[in-house]
Amino acid sequence: MLELAGVRHAYEGRVVLDLERFAVPPGALIAIVGHNGSGKSTLLRLLALVERPSTGEIRWGDAVVSSPRVRPRAAARRRITLVEQRPVLFRGTVRANLGFGLKIRGRRGAEAEKTVAAVAERLGITGLLDRRRHELSDGEVQRVAVARALAVAPDVLLLDEPVSSADRAAAQALYGALADERRARGLAICLASHQLEDAYRWADDIRALAEGRLSPVTPENLFRVELPPGQEEETKHVRVGPIAIAVTTGREGPAILAVPPTDIFVSKEPLVSSARNVFTGQVTRLGRPRPGVVHVAADVGVELIAVITEEAARDLALAPGSPVTFAFKASAVRVF
Amino acid sequence: MDFLAEGLRRAVHLISSADPEVYGIALLTVKVAVVATVIACALGMPLGFVLASRRFWGRRAALTVVNTALAFPTVVVGLLLYALLSRRGPLGGLGWLYTWQAIVIGDVILAFPIAAALSAAAVQGVDPRIRRTAETLGAGTWRTAWAVAREARFALAAVITAAFGQVVAEVGAAMIVGGNIRGATRTLTTAVALYTAQGDFGLALALGLILLVMALVVNVALQVLQGRGNA
Repeated sequence: MLELAGVRHAYEGRVVLDLERFAVPPGALIAIVGHNGSGKSTLLRLLALVERPSTGEIRWGDAVVSSPRVRPRAAARRRITLVEQRPVLFRGTVRANLGFGLKIRGRRGAEAEKTVAAVAERLGITGLLDRRRHELSDGEVQRVAVARALAVAPDVLLLDEPVSSADRAAAQALYGALADERRARGLAICLASHQLEDAYRWADDIRALAEGRLSPVTPENLFRVELPPGQEEETKHVRVGPIAIAVTTGREGPAILAVPPTDIFVSKEPLVSSARNVFTGQVTRLGRPRPGVVHVAADVGVELIAVITEEAARDLALAPGSPVTFAFKASAVRVF
Repeated sequence: MDFLAEGLRRAVHLISSADPEVYGIALLTVKVAVVATVIACALGMPLGFVLASRRFWGRRAALTVVNTALAFPTVVVGLLLYALLSRRGPLGGLGWLYTWQAIVIGDVILAFPIAAALSAAAVQGVDPRIRRTAETLGAGTWRTAWAVAREARFALAAVITAAFGQVVAEVGAAMIVGGNIRGATRTLTTAVALYTAQGDFGLALALGLILLVMALVVNVALQVLQGRGNA
């Protein structure tokens, strides 16, 4: 198991990541979601052992691999690979790139060729094998980089926005190939994405990062706000775009507001209730990440997402464009 | 202007008739330049890699020292080396003063900062993702350095050319520690200086032309290498 413990990481004195614990169990499929600058890429670079945390430990099994001792880190690096958001290929052909990690592991000749051909086939890049980096599109470079990482059969594969340059079909093909790989040999995958839909569709475990910390709620409906002064626990009205969200908090100053999607009541019309937050708008889209669960996205001035059951969605006859009311209590809003 | 034309005629004659003195001087120059370039690059390029890719206490100061050493006056290097190698100096027992080995040492001292500073700049110019990618694919220190060097290979070839250019064109230190002894330590540059002072313009010009051809050959070789490696 790959694990961060008590890690704080800073660049030039500014803390960009602060995690009590972050574990990647064997065979897990984890999506790390969050806004740009939330610390996703830094987290992946730490997990990939290409950066050492300012404080705290990184463990691979029983070994501490964040210490300056080179040997345990080098051994762990052979089991963990990272594909960066904008991956880079080495000079030479795609075939040579796919063989890079194999050569390091002493695998050459026919055996390495076979592995390269097999992984290229799984990722649908066989036709690209003799091309060089300047002959590839960004999406193709991304697929080649994923194939290069899979060629070394890692135990943990870290992917930073793996489909950011891919079209829909290419993204599905890539996720499909990753799912096959995982089924075949219990590989753990940890991917950073800002596309929640992808995260919900492909990951078993979704972890949200905000300002370098793990968010206590799933990543929908996160808003960066300035809380009005007042350290007493009280209801404050905080402006988020054109709407004001009522929140019960004793905090003041910069903060993140999170409205848990499961705490939002969805109705066709405004209801008389104790909820301090009642917003009307239109349904923008409906998603079904899992059987029986519906994500209702609505524009109520800002975009909010509510999670309801399939049965409730059917009863309300929700469809894109239909009017909708979202309501939630001031005490349901999380502040961190 | 007649002396120029006369000098040029004599130069062509000396080169085309394979004059033993001219070729002897040229061969010694090539020997000294190649040995000094190899040693300077073998020492300087790894230092350049370390300065460019590792973060350690004193790194910035080391870079400043190396960059300052680029402007080290050659006669001062010659003077200091003379003091070390002269019979009363701490290395006098080696008996290397007025030998080609002494010229090599002087040239290494002058070319080392070039090899270190320019290779540091070459490595710093490589996309940092290359290093990270090599590491994430399991490469250790040497493999990672090799992957980075492959990306920077044209710049690193230019580093070797620059070091060779410095060594082959150097005159001050070679004159002081070599002594410009005919048949022993006379290099192209020290010979050009001597024959010009003696008024043997044709011989000086012939040697100067050989020096230029050497520089041209090295640069053409580099360009051919770059042309081949562009793919």
